[in-house]
Formats: sequence, structure tokens, C-alpha cells
Amino acid sequence: MKSLNFPPLEQLISSISASLGSYAPVIEEIKAVLSSPQCSLSSVGMAIEKDPDLTARLLKLANSAFYGFGTRLSTVTEAVSLIGIQQVQDLILSSSIIDKFAGMPPESIDMASFWRHSLACGTCARILATERRLPNADKFFVAGLLHDVGRLVLYQQAPAASKLVFQRYQADRMPLQDAEQRMLGFDNSDIARALLQRWNYPDFLVQAVGAHHRMGHLSHLPVEAAVVHFSDYLVTAMQIGCSGDRLVPPLKSRTWEVLGMTNEKLETLMDAIDEQMQSVEEVFINN
Amino acid sequence: MLVSVDVKNMDGMLLLPKGCELTDRHINILQAWGISEIVVESGAGPEGSVDPLAKLTPEELVALTSELKSLFWQPDESNPGYQAVFQAILKRRVLRGARR
Repeated sequence: MKSLNFPPLEQLISSISASLGSYAPVIEEIKAVLSSPQCSLSSVGMAIEKDPDLTARLLKLANSAFYGFGTRLSTVTEAVSLIGIQQVQDLILSSSIIDKFAGMPPESIDMASFWRHSLACGTCARILATERRLPNADKFFVAGLLHDVGRLVLYQQAPAASKLVFQRYQADRMPLQDAEQRMLGFDNSDIARALLQRWNYPDFLVQAVGAHHRMGHLSHLPVEAAVVHFSDYLVTAMQIGCSGDRLVPPLKSRTWEVLGMTNEKLETLMDAIDEQMQSVEEVFINN
Repeated sequence: MLVSVDVKNMDGMLLLPKGCELTDRHINILQAWGISEIVVESGAGPEGSVDPLAKLTPEELVALTSELKSLFWQPDESNPGYQAVFQAILKRRVLRGARR
């Protein structure tokens, strides 16, 4: 049962800044460039090049196994032309969110392990979406990356409450999201949904992230949510990082069928995750 | 040497399918497309064709199965997704030398 001493969802979210932090100026400039009649790939590239850190990240990612281009890209304009403007914006979004939660106290969470798990989930979701030929496969990377971001909000904004939730999780041996639900009246996916709505993220992301623990309540399993749910399941089973709950969450019964998975596809998927994770970590964590 | 992952160009066109034997001609074609790296596996010798789980004694298999099942909140044997993922991580543990 929910305790009156725990913070309500609205209070947690209202404490988070609506700004996207240090990358906000670049995002605004790209929007301005895109709305200009003189917009070109080189003008988008020039807007990005004003931020040296972002430029380095973009080129490193573009030249990595994540995209697997055969030729070496040396300019931002080349990278934007091959990757796509929307995908570059997604990269900026991902970087800005990781930076936003930097500096969390190490006693509350191992951030390197948290982001390793989240990046692996994003990488898996992107590969699955590409294989399924879903539109905007790169968006699934962002969805996977953010699937547990609600947990960071809880650690950051209500450390005492999150400690009690964790104690309940350990004492009663139940999935962490169930402990969150019982003690707070909502879980990390509810927090993530509210946060992404506050940041005006696309509905697609809000739904895919917000439903990844809740698919059992839906009569129709959306493939977007199934991609994120299965990615979380698989990378937890592969023991790549940890976002709080070390055990593999329950797998919704229809997920395997909805995604059209086979044993052979699973093997290829796991190899591709291993292959891409090193470069993804270098860009987003070790840069 | 066998191609272990489909090789596609930037437009998603299949250049070499998974499982095909890599030849010098294929390498020339890949270079022409600007592809410098692909994933291959060595020829299927006696080691490559053996199920990695067959390397374990029955006792080792039971112990490893039990250890890996404890990583799951709900080891649901009736769920095909669970079955496939469990078998895959079991094989990976054996291939990565995690024998106990």
C-alpha cells in the first residue's frame, strides 16, 4: 500500500528542470537552421561544429561499428548526410540526458553500470527495429536508452524513499518495479512517461518507454513496447550493466511471437550487441 | 572461412548472405563497396560443429543451469522467449570458459 510519506509523482517531476542542459543551445540552433529557407547539410554541420564535444562524439559514433559505414568520415557534414538530421538530433538528445544525470552520489547507484545497461538496451532495440524494418529505427535507441530513466529521477529527487523501496525489494524478493508500485503507488516507467511528457518528447517515445513494464495490462501488445521490453529482458539476461534490479524481469508471454524471433535471429542479435557495445560505450560514457 | 552475419551495403542491399564461404572474389567485391570489415567464423572443424553444451559433464550442466536460472525472477519454461534466451546464455557461458 502507498505510504503517505512518499513523494507524489507530480512532485518528483516538477523538480526536474525542463531544459536539456548544455546541449540546449545546439538543439535550438539546429531547429533554427532547419526552419530557414537556406537550410543545407553544411549549415546543419556548422551548427553542430560549434560544440567541439558533440562534434567529437558524432564523428566517433559515425566511424564506429554502430553504423558500420565502409568509409572513414572526417567531417560533421559527411556524418550528417549519411546518418540523417533526425538521427543526429537523437544523438544530441541521448547525450544531453546522460549528462543531465551526471554527478549522482555513488552510494545511491553505480552510474557506469546503469548507463551500460541502458545503452545495451538501446543498442538491442535499434538492431531489433532495423531487423523488423520498423520506421525510424534510431528512435528505438533513444527509447531503450531511456527505459529506466524514471529510476534515476527517483534516486535523485527522493533518495530516502528510493532506499526504502530498495530495502523492500531485497526483503520481499520481488522485482524492483513491483516494490516501487507497492510502496509509491507508481513505478519507474510512470515516472519516465511523465518526465518525457514534460520534456515534450514524441508520443512514440513516451508510449514505448512508459509501457515497457506494463504490457500485461494491454489487450494489444504494441510492437514498439515489445521491442523495448524484450531488449531490457535480453541485455539483463546477458548481464550487461545493471539499472537497479540484477535479476531478469518476467517476459510477457506474446513478446517472442510479436517480434517474430527465432533462435538464429537471437544468436545474431546477441553477437551484434557485443560488437556494437564497445563503440557505443566509448561515445556515450568514456568520451 | 564462413560469413557469420549478412553483409549489406549502406542501402541495405544484401551483398553476401550469412553462411556463405568467403572467397578472394568476394573480398574484391567488398573492397569495391568500401566495406573493410565483416564478421566471419572459421571453417567448421571438429570443434566448430560440436554443441558447446556437449563439453560439459551432466553434473556441470545441472550446476550451471541452476546458477543461470537463479538470475531470472520467473523462469517460465512454457514461454518460448525464455527458453531461447536461456539456452543462448547457457551456451555463451560455456563458450566463454565459465565452466565450474
